[in-house]
Amino acid sequence: MNILEVKELGKDFGGLTALQGVHLSIEAGRIFGLIGPNGAGKSTAFNCIAGVYAPTRGEIRFNGEVINGQKPWNLCKKGLARTFQIVKPFASKTVLYNVMVGSFLHTNSTREARRRALEVLEFLHFAGKAHMRAGDLTIADRKRLEIARALATRPKLLLLDEVMAGLRPAEVDQMVEIIRRLRDQGITIFVIEHIMRAIMALSDRVAVLHFGKKIAEGTPQEVASDERVIKAYLGEEYVVSGS
Amino acid sequence: MTRRHYNKMAAAIVLILAFGLPLVVRSATYLHILVLLYFYAYLTTSWNLVGGFAGVLPLGHAAFVGIGAYTSTILYLQYGISPWIGMLVGGVLASFVGVLIGLPTFKMRGAYFALATLAFAEGIRVMVENIDRLGPFVLNGPRGLQIPPLKLGLGNLVFASKEPYYYIILLMLLAVLALTWVIARSKLGYYLNAGGEEPDAAMALGVNVARSKLTAMAMSSFLTALAGAFYAQFTLYIHPKSVISLDLSFEIAFIALIGGRGSIAGPVLGALLLRPVSDFSRIYFGDTLPGLHLVIFGVVLILVMIFQPRGLQEPLTRAYNRLLDRLAPGQTKELGT
Ligand SMILES: Nc1ncnc2c1ncn2[C@@H]1O[C@H](COP(=O)(O)OP(=O)(O)O)[C@@H](O)[C@H]1O
Ligand SMILES: [Mg+2]
Repeated sequence: MNILEVKELGKDFGGLTALQGVHLSIEAGRIFGLIGPNGAGKSTAFNCIAGVYAPTRGEIRFNGEVINGQKPWNLCKKGLARTFQIVKPFASKTVLYNVMVGSFLHTNSTREARRRALEVLEFLHFAGKAHMRAGDLTIADRKRLEIARALATRPKLLLLDEVMAGLRPAEVDQMVEIIRRLRDQGITIFVIEHIMRAIMALSDRVAVLHFGKKIAEGTPQEVASDERVIKAYLGEEYVVSGS
Repeated sequence: MTRRHYNKMAAAIVLILAFGLPLVVRSATYLHILVLLYFYAYLTTSWNLVGGFAGVLPLGHAAFVGIGAYTSTILYLQYGISPWIGMLVGGVLASFVGVLIGLPTFKMRGAYFALATLAFAEGIRVMVENIDRLGPFVLNGPRGLQIPPLKLGLGNLVFASKEPYYYIILLMLLAVLALTWVIARSKLGYYLNAGGEEPDAAMALGVNVARSKLTAMAMSSFLTALAGAFYAQFTLYIHPKSVISLDLSFEIAFIALIGGRGSIAGPVLGALLLRPVSDFSRIYFGDTLPGLHLVIFGVVLILVMIFQPRGLQEPLTRAYNRLLDRLAPGQTKELGT
């Protein structure tokens, strides 16, 4: 069953077409990767799916329901959570406070919200920093906090926007491990990533965006050997012209 | 002794001082000043629900003071309804108006929101100044309304001495502080803080930011109006410039910013510091330099924003915690926020 179904998705910003005719199908329980050069429209695609922008064209279905233009908080209640490429912690508050904002989605009790938030922090091996101010965290921990908060809302589908950017290699490996464990919990993962090594290791399928259009999709191996993808990433001059 | 014991002891000392003060302070003038100090601490605490927790800067809360004062006074003068009931009616009316103001303005950011609320409040003042009768209700335009102190007693909220007023506003202040404490630890408090600090992140976590702000606005304007009714009964004379003035809206914001918005102690500290300045500059310079207190507030605000941008509560809280560390070493402080 496809948990997310995107058809003919298009988004314009004034005169700029950021997305054009994008099709995506994500099977429940899988890890789906989205790659593409800077400015390709990846984050815009996430923002359309998560309800930040209403798409200019096309249709987005989540669990079979058309969700075009629904508000982010309602989508979150339906089980669609996301992280931000540019992290947005509640900086003056503790890590625990941040995560509790997420866990309040399913409870009105502060005690219960705290209990669930601590569970999430345990799961992410993050509980030791529960009482640190979010603004004082390292980049790696801020990315982890983004995931922890989103996780506390108990999502079915989790959109991860470049959660590995800026991390050291060892931290990238940890993050890959975390994402696998999330998938093993039954959460479908839709992940944008720049680091090829990570996305290749993680994803069941990968789609490639370039100038707002999907230029390839397939298994990581298929995509990595696709000529259009190599061209998009490395530029025309690197491709040996066939004729 | 543990930190908790020390905290309880400190609270007990403050309470005993507050309740015992009228036994020492016999002068009506000083009691009057104290009543107004608590009145402003109460107003700022109510304001803080929106201006502190929700991270916006409302500059029109005088409108709600006015709604409370006029509603209870009109109901009392024209229909003989107890000001206690009028107080609640005014509260409901004010929260209705608060939501009406909030609906279009909460989508605005920063200065636009502040200006919009200021304009609303000024609009209400100008209207009241120009209306003598509103349907069956007598407003008396700029001349205002006078409450003849004929029927004394708790039911009519009219007293011959200042002490009863002192205790009533003190209890109101303690109640609103307790309410704030509870809200800060509730889902609403978390949602308000989150929405105020990073609205996009909050929305992505399931928070309907606009709706939690409206809820806070409804509560804040309701509570503010209660104090308006109290003020009318305390001074027995209200007019648009006294209860719906820009001065009042600004003073609330000054107290909050200097004391520390978003914290529970901030509004009380701010009132303790600024109200005496306000009163004494009015007593000594009222004729020669009216409005001097606002100039002094401005200077204090600039200094506080430069050296303690989170308000005076921050260094004081830190000092208090250090003292507790000394008295009860090795214990971690209250966590979770
Ligand atoms: N809110 C916006 N307003 C105008 N242009 C935008 C906005 N968001 C993104 N864009 C533009 O859309 C294009 C795609 O951006 P984005 O989706 O952030 O790319 P990616 O995440 O793939 O790096 C870029 O040209 C970017 O400048
Ligand atoms: Mg991006």
